[in-house]
Amino acid sequence: MKDFRELEIEIKKASDKFTNIESINEFRIKFLGKKGIISLEMKELASLSGDERKKHAEKLNKIKDSVLEIIASKTEELNSEELEKKLNSETLDITLSTSKSYGTIHPISQVIEEVITIFGDLDFFVAEGPEVETDYNNFTALNTSEHHPARQMHDTFYVETESDGMPNVLRTHTSPVQIRSMLKQKPPIRLIAPGKTFRCDNDQTHSPMFHQVEGLVIDQESNMSHLKGCLEIFLKTFFETDKLNMRFRPSHFPFTEPSAEVDIGYTKKGNQLIIGEGEDWLEILGCGMVHPNVLENVNINSNEYQGYAFGMGIERLAMLKYGISDLRTFFDSDLRWNKHYGFSPLNIPSIIGDLS
Amino acid sequence: MKFSYSWLTEHLKTNAHFEEIEKKLTSIGLEVEDIQDTGKAYQDFIVGQVLEEKKHPNADKLKLCKVDIGKEKVDVVCGAPNVEKGMKVVYAPVGSTIPVNHMKIKAAKIRGVESYGMMCSEYELGISNEHDGIIRLEEKETIGRSFSEIYGLNDIVIEIGITPNRQDCLGVKGIARDLASAGIGELLERKISREKGSFKSPIKIEIKDNKICSAFAGRYFRNVKNNESPEWLKNKLKSIGLRPISALVDITNFVMYDENRPLHVYDADKIDGKIIVRKANDGESFLALDEKDYQLKNGMCVIADEKKVLGLGGIMGGESTGCSTETKNVLLESALFDEVNTAKTGRNLSILSDARYRFERGIDPNSTLKGIDLATQLILEICGGECSEVELAGNIKENKNEVSTSSSYISKRLGFEVSDKELISILSSLGIETSQKGDVIKCSIPSWRQDIHGEADISEEVIRIKGYENIPTSNIRSKSKINHNILNYAQKKLMKTRHFIASIGYDELVTFSFTDSKNCEVFGDINKLKIVNPISEELNILRPNLLPNLLQAIKKNKNRNFDSFSIFEIGSQFRSTSPEDQLNVACGIRSGIKIEKSWKNKQTEFDIYDAKQDLTSLIDHLIPGNKKISISNECPSWYHPGRSGSIKINNSVVVGYFGELHPRVAGQFKIKNRTNIFELYLDELPNTEKKNTNKPVLNLSDFQVVTRDFAFVIDKKVKGDEVITSAFKVDKELIRNVEIFDLFEDDSLGKDKKSIAIKVTLQSNEKTLAENDISEISSKIIESVEKSTSGTVRS
Repeated sequence: MKDFRELEIEIKKASDKFTNIESINEFRIKFLGKKGIISLEMKELASLSGDERKKHAEKLNKIKDSVLEIIASKTEELNSEELEKKLNSETLDITLSTSKSYGTIHPISQVIEEVITIFGDLDFFVAEGPEVETDYNNFTALNTSEHHPARQMHDTFYVETESDGMPNVLRTHTSPVQIRSMLKQKPPIRLIAPGKTFRCDNDQTHSPMFHQVEGLVIDQESNMSHLKGCLEIFLKTFFETDKLNMRFRPSHFPFTEPSAEVDIGYTKKGNQLIIGEGEDWLEILGCGMVHPNVLENVNINSNEYQGYAFGMGIERLAMLKYGISDLRTFFDSDLRWNKHYGFSPLNIPSIIGDLS
Repeated sequence: MKFSYSWLTEHLKTNAHFEEIEKKLTSIGLEVEDIQDTGKAYQDFIVGQVLEEKKHPNADKLKLCKVDIGKEKVDVVCGAPNVEKGMKVVYAPVGSTIPVNHMKIKAAKIRGVESYGMMCSEYELGISNEHDGIIRLEEKETIGRSFSEIYGLNDIVIEIGITPNRQDCLGVKGIARDLASAGIGELLERKISREKGSFKSPIKIEIKDNKICSAFAGRYFRNVKNNESPEWLKNKLKSIGLRPISALVDITNFVMYDENRPLHVYDADKIDGKIIVRKANDGESFLALDEKDYQLKNGMCVIADEKKVLGLGGIMGGESTGCSTETKNVLLESALFDEVNTAKTGRNLSILSDARYRFERGIDPNSTLKGIDLATQLILEICGGECSEVELAGNIKENKNEVSTSSSYISKRLGFEVSDKELISILSSLGIETSQKGDVIKCSIPSWRQDIHGEADISEEVIRIKGYENIPTSNIRSKSKINHNILNYAQKKLMKTRHFIASIGYDELVTFSFTDSKNCEVFGDINKLKIVNPISEELNILRPNLLPNLLQAIKKNKNRNFDSFSIFEIGSQFRSTSPEDQLNVACGIRSGIKIEKSWKNKQTEFDIYDAKQDLTSLIDHLIPGNKKISISNECPSWYHPGRSGSIKINNSVVVGYFGELHPRVAGQFKIKNRTNIFELYLDELPNTEKKNTNKPVLNLSDFQVVTRDFAFVIDKKVKGDEVITSAFKVDKELIRNVEIFDLFEDDSLGKDKKSIAIKVTLQSNEKTLAENDISEISSKIIESVEKSTSGTVRS
């Protein structure tokens, strides 16, 4: 009986000398090639008798397996070494700069979209009106007659065209959208109207153009408590806080009665405003129950329908939420400012994703 | 509206702490805007007397003074021209703070001489604008006495914002009345004696038009002395920032701020004949007390005598009958002028006065005679003399507003239950008398509340007094959907546009809707866009296009060292100043460096193909799926004629443009770089409100894809698009794509020739293309392109 001892020793010796893939190949041919040592031994098996052949075959197969295993593991080993070398030679300087590939969304647009998202979730739709308005829509229909003292608080821009004998104006608030919408649609109505507004005023805290968002709800039961509930949800969601001190206090707008101004609590930590908490108050918006005269002006029966309206400044919301200190910088087109305060275009406010 | 705490307590008996009053004021709608504890601010300032005064050794304009301040004598260096020995002064010691500039007084060497403290002017103390010299106090003042006592400043001054509806609170009494209604103390009635008068007024009054003035009460006073007012009166006016003038004028001001009753006094000796209240005639003019000459217009309400205009009713008196220290006989006026007419006249002549402010908001008619009584009492007390009987022209109408309401209406509006009992009790606290019949509560509105006309107004009164903090919070989520879409299609388009453009590298700007008419002629008819009262000449028209403001932004940012611009704006531009002439436009600009020179890249600049790519990708984003886009050379005049194109969708209207800004326009805006722009007229995009969620059927072939390249020499003026189209039309099934991959011009090709190379992609749905199929179609492509472009294939 052959014990193949020498064969095993030879395999062992040969397997210690691998330096590259070629030497593994030579090794394979030497033992397993057509004329390889093991192949030849296999052929010789045919000449053996049954029992012996079986034993020899078993032994040879084991040796063959061990050769295959050596080939596999040595190949793997050499491949890894080679890859390692390649990787080492391919290293790049990852600190070299690359450029940003997307631009920015203006904070005004961001805040308007946030506002729309929140109110959209509360079943409001977005209404619009033009920036040039008739005197009637901007004032008279809103219960502000020609010589009402409240008109003097609006520094109105006038243009040269007229409607019904009165010069048209650049709208001083988004409230005329209430009128346009109620003339088009019968209650129930739930709308917001974000947009540009204009007042003839230009100093540290006033810009001749700014943005407002108007809200209007008209149905058969909406009352002051709904107004409070609506604004509470909005302000909490917008400022992304569960804690919100909110204060309603009486005020006057010709188109609402009762009218209120709403303050929210804040504290100052260093240079930062913390919205929601604290004993100090910040005025944030004006609101009230729609004046019956306004409803009658758009042919809605004020005995049957009632509701509320509110209006707030987009810039103010943006300044408070995002820590922007100067109103006038919004329209300055200073790209350093836009790149700093602007928002990623793919971070679209949504109810399933983030608001900001 | 400013008032002092001590003045308020003349009308209000209360134990409430000041802070409680402050809170209550805001909670009933009289928002506290400012509080000044003047006692505190002035507590350090005391009376001193200048003992010595000599020249400063090192400065011509400074003086060295020794000042006696009671407990010691101090050296003070002073620059005031009026300082002199023996003078009583207001002394600010070391450590005190000067109100006007919040400067803290320190012991200091001034030009080498020690100075302890300062002698103050009225300006420095924040009392008036008088800064020509330091205050000269009366001889009799005791050294060391507190200055705030002398000036009546030992008080708290409150400033509240009065909304236009609350005319009743334009007097201290009205504020006290509202506080009393809200449970802060008890309203005190001032005791006013009613003088009957000992003679008939020699000056008669005639109202020609009772629409502009419904009543005019006059009273004649003879032998009065119009001296300085007594200290208490002067201090009272000073405490709320008014300058005392003379006793008669001060008394009318006092009555106005106390009772909200504007009055006027005329020097009676300067009145010719009777008083006539009438409408002004065009061309009349009048010299008012503010020393300005006003040209009057027909319809304005004037107070005149038989020869001249004496005053503008409810707005301002005239110079000709003004009272001076010489005045002996006067006529006191208390009248009711029409709100709208007063507002109109005031606005027309741009006169802001306390009287106008009050009359245009509405005056309590019952104050007409009360005002006369209170003023009479003060005039007789302070100025002496005798008064006539009151002469009344017109009628003081007792038109009490009546409003009917019910607790159910009030409850429905406010959102919580208000009982009849509570409603009636709140109303009665406001002086509103009620009577109940069934559910209906009839309210009789007092004459001082000119703003309550309807039930809605009653609901505000109720919640104002009850407190807005008592409004509950209700859920507003509706059971059934009210709106099916939050945004309509056009609004969604705007939002998609914004995010898409920003996502490809542009920064969004928001600029003014107005712009400078200069340089804008090219963009539209600037004469149709004028703003009548612009904020400045640079912002004098509505923008005819988004470009001017964006171009200015580029110029500004160039100065800030930016050299690469990708900016855009989405907004409105205007065809005229009619509301309907507003368009929604998206405008983007690419200019300057596209890729910065770096370790990795060569520097490249933006060109029109960037603008084209951005615009066409944007359109693809907005209108996905099949559409026919055609491009032509016709562009508005602000584009470079050879480097611009307009885009049509489905052969209908033009929806946008792209190209290079015309060099002339660029020059006007002082921009040197080539500026590549696109404009998308969003309103022109096809509006398909209902969108089909199904996409067109997609047929995918698994057979081999083959590409073949062809190059043609053609005339320079032939467009690449023509080459592509003529190749495509050979076989619309087999040819999957045609694109230009090389383009060059060289003299070796011939004069005005260029070479265009296209890559054609072929694939069949049925089989793998054999070599002869491919060569067959290749020769057809060559034939077609050569034929339609008159070019030749390059081999």
